[in-house]
Amino acid sequence: MERATREREKEQREQAQTNDEAQQCPECNSANVITDQSERVCEDCGLVLEDDQIDHGPEWRAFNSSERDQKSRVGAPTTKTMHDKGLTTQIDWKDKDAYGRSLDAKKRNQMNRLRKWQERIRTKDAGERNLQFALSEIDRMASALGVPRSVREVASVIYRRALKEDLIRGRSIEGVATACLYAACRQEGIPRTLEEVTEVARIDQKEIGRTYRYVAQELSLEIQPTDPKEYLPRFASDLELSEEVIAKAREIIDTSAEQGLLSGKSPSGFAAAAIYAASLLCNEKKTQREVANVANVTEVTIRNRYQEQIEAMGFGV
Amino acid sequence: MTDPKETINIENVVASTGIGQELDLQSVAMDLEGADYDPEQFPGLVYRTQDPKSAALIFRSGKIVCTGAKSTDDVHESLRIVFDKLRELSIKVEDDPEIVVQNIVTSADLGRQLNLNAIAIGLGLENIEYEPEQFPGLVYRLDDPEVVALLFGSGKLVITGGKEPKDAEHAVDKITSRLEELGLLD
Repeated sequence: MERATREREKEQREQAQTNDEAQQCPECNSANVITDQSERVCEDCGLVLEDDQIDHGPEWRAFNSSERDQKSRVGAPTTKTMHDKGLTTQIDWKDKDAYGRSLDAKKRNQMNRLRKWQERIRTKDAGERNLQFALSEIDRMASALGVPRSVREVASVIYRRALKEDLIRGRSIEGVATACLYAACRQEGIPRTLEEVTEVARIDQKEIGRTYRYVAQELSLEIQPTDPKEYLPRFASDLELSEEVIAKAREIIDTSAEQGLLSGKSPSGFAAAAIYAASLLCNEKKTQREVANVANVTEVTIRNRYQEQIEAMGFGV
Repeated sequence: MTDPKETINIENVVASTGIGQELDLQSVAMDLEGADYDPEQFPGLVYRTQDPKSAALIFRSGKIVCTGAKSTDDVHESLRIVFDKLRELSIKVEDDPEIVVQNIVTSADLGRQLNLNAIAIGLGLENIEYEPEQFPGLVYRLDDPEVVALLFGSGKLVITGGKEPKDAEHAVDKITSRLEELGLLD
């Protein structure tokens, strides 16, 4: 986890650098601006564009091996999934002191009161409280769906954008939060179907779909229609199918989509049928019902899509 | 190949008008033969004309909405029948109340299969709405004429929101030329 964070930070820095390169020097209009340690300098005329930059990277000095192992200047990285970016203090529920000893009753009560007030003080107004609620909703649903951290982060960013553009007004916080999570899943290429999202949400599917369309349109998220292939690994692993089946299903989807069979068809149903067909072809047969249950579609859908796909593949039945 | 414009067919015309006075729907419902009035289900009185086939929704405020007609002429024709019926009940209706067409729904056929995924990306994701999970059609909002077109994988399309029959023709023209530009019609 820590390594992943570091890598991400490195990526971010690299990205910042490419941004720098795209910038022009205001003095000589040269595009030759470089970042040198903590200064941004124009290489042609020597103008310093920015100095004393904050270095977001880890500490590079270490005097012994244990320090080298934990080169870091601060605590956890800031995150958009907390309303305060995770900067304020949280008092834990362990009731232990710094030595790991249990607190006595009097101290415990005191800590309880402190904790209560800390929780209250963390949010400074109703807006922040709403944001905190929405973000915890996103976190709850994301946990229930088992999507990775990055998706939560993206969902939180989308929600914050929606909040800034005043899209929440007139809509429920739960609704927008759910729609943001659904959008984030799709944006990150690990789509969940609306049905799956509805199962963990507190509002109905229609409302989620409607809010999603609204948010996606207003923020011009430009999310492409879901590619059925993105469902394959998940469905296949739920059904304990081999890599071979996934490859075959991919081939089926590509071939049949090329012939225009995908137009207007639900991507999850399409993927489910391809998995079913591929499992037959690879001698790892799953019943239509098993596939239907995993994909949250009906057996009828699978049969219909399956027929079309088999015909497109030229196998005939 | 046939011109898609020839396949244009008006499916529904909705128009509104009014007789400028409040009505007691209960008594109108009693006197007017074939009128449906169930205020618990719908606040308006429904009167269906057979020829031309349409339904007029008469409201307490005296406003009338006519829907289900297949052409603008049919709307005028059936509303004329409604006005005559009301006059028979000795409700004053001026000679020629203004009839405003609110919406025309048309269908058309491009005559070939469409790859909606490619169209969605080609037309720009900000202009269209294509959510196969929620609805199999692709929603394309045009600015001029101001109509909404639903494109389906079969090549059929539905155009709604037009105020004049011509709007649909313009829309079909525009859609075919846009799709041809993108090389998505072949």
